[in-house]
Amino acid sequence: MIDNQQNRTQGAAGTTDAQKAPQLQLKDIHKEFNGNTVLSDISLDVNAGEVVAFIGPSGAGKSTLLRCVNYLETPSSGDLLIDGKPTVKIASKPTRNELMNLRRQVGMVFQSFNLFPHISVLRNVALPQERVLGRSRKEAEERAMELLTRVGLGDKADARPSKCSGGQQQRIAIARALALDPEIMLFDEPTSALDPELGGEVLAVMQELAATGMTMLVVTHEMSFARRVSDRTVFMADGRIVEQGAPEQVFGAPREARTKKFLEAVLER
Amino acid sequence: MFEQWIQWLPGLLSGLQTSLAVTGLSLLLGLPLGLLFAFGMISRTRILRQTTILIVELGRGIPLLVVLYVVYFGLPDGGIVLESFAAAVVAIAFNTGAYTSEIFRAGLLSVPRGHIEAAQSLGLNWTDEARYIVLPQALRAIVPPLMSYSVIVFQATSLGYAIALPELLNSAYQIGSVTFEFLSVFILAGLIYAALSIVVSRFVDAIHSKTSH
Repeated sequence: MIDNQQNRTQGAAGTTDAQKAPQLQLKDIHKEFNGNTVLSDISLDVNAGEVVAFIGPSGAGKSTLLRCVNYLETPSSGDLLIDGKPTVKIASKPTRNELMNLRRQVGMVFQSFNLFPHISVLRNVALPQERVLGRSRKEAEERAMELLTRVGLGDKADARPSKCSGGQQQRIAIARALALDPEIMLFDEPTSALDPELGGEVLAVMQELAATGMTMLVVTHEMSFARRVSDRTVFMADGRIVEQGAPEQVFGAPREARTKKFLEAVLER
Repeated sequence: MFEQWIQWLPGLLSGLQTSLAVTGLSLLLGLPLGLLFAFGMISRTRILRQTTILIVELGRGIPLLVVLYVVYFGLPDGGIVLESFAAAVVAIAFNTGAYTSEIFRAGLLSVPRGHIEAAQSLGLNWTDEARYIVLPQALRAIVPPLMSYSVIVFQATSLGYAIALPELLNSAYQIGSVTFEFLSVFILAGLIYAALSIVVSRFVDAIHSKTSH
């Protein structure tokens, strides 16, 4: 247990291995909406295979930060690097090509699933592969079937998304993102719209994915998931990272008063 | 009276043919124009958005009859001479584009923001996003009001009378000016307009109640 903890902390610090850049680097990411600062100069390094959980009160900027990583939100300034290479030259003015390249490497799962309602589950997973990766329909649908089976939903392939439960829809959304072979996966409150039982199915799939070595950034209100599955927990408030470290440390012995206050409020419920 | 009507019917039906041809061609050109205007109106490029909005406002603000006159009587001054048929199609298509752009825009905006974000996060480019995600969903919201609008376009072709287009109203007038049975022939013409319009409206209602549950 202690060994494990040390390994995790070392991995999280990411400075021991100097010749290899962290897989994902955020440098001074700043975001303003109409003069309001939502993210103030956030820097963060994430190593390949690391699972980082973002916790904190609503309005802390967790989701905004996550959405900056695939440019669904455009940062006002700052740098975003993948494998040591800048993804966008001018942070506030991404070109179409830069966006395409970035999004090919980063997959995203949303709170509201966002499956396309007018096509079948199988097509939801296959269509992006055909359009983005240029796979043939046969190839894409085989891969889709494989992934749907992996998340336990092979039998739902021909159904419309609306015929699936919320938990099933979210697992399909995960399969859809994985089908594009991303290097990094973003999860924006993936279980917040689900009741605890259905949320459990989704968390199980995510845990399995974490075990395969996928780099994951997860914004979550599921403290037990953050605690059990993440390699590092980042606590954010008011657009800043207040504290980060191994989950045992952040949950067990928080250093900052703001973290303590938040954890007391959520864990006492 | 009915004997007269039967006697007039061939003349009126040839006028009706012209009315329908103008309606069809105006829609064929006007609807894509409306979709184009709609994309322009929601464009993030400010100059494109504002230019489109200006064109659409003009298209909706200028009465169709005035547009018809500009195209038919005015454009020859600039060296563009169109026959009444072509002039009617051009004017009505422009008017249709301006009015339906709002229907298209509402349809495009009815697609949940999250679906668009999902498409973007998957790396779909702008055209794929429109073609595979946005338009198929928007179409459901768009088709019924567009069919209703096509009835208005059909009725608006009667304005072609003013530029000597041999359409249904014009045919009726010709018959009236020979027989002096204006009341009778205009009632018949009106009934023909109404009959077609009602059929289409019923059809739209049927689709509407079918798709809404």
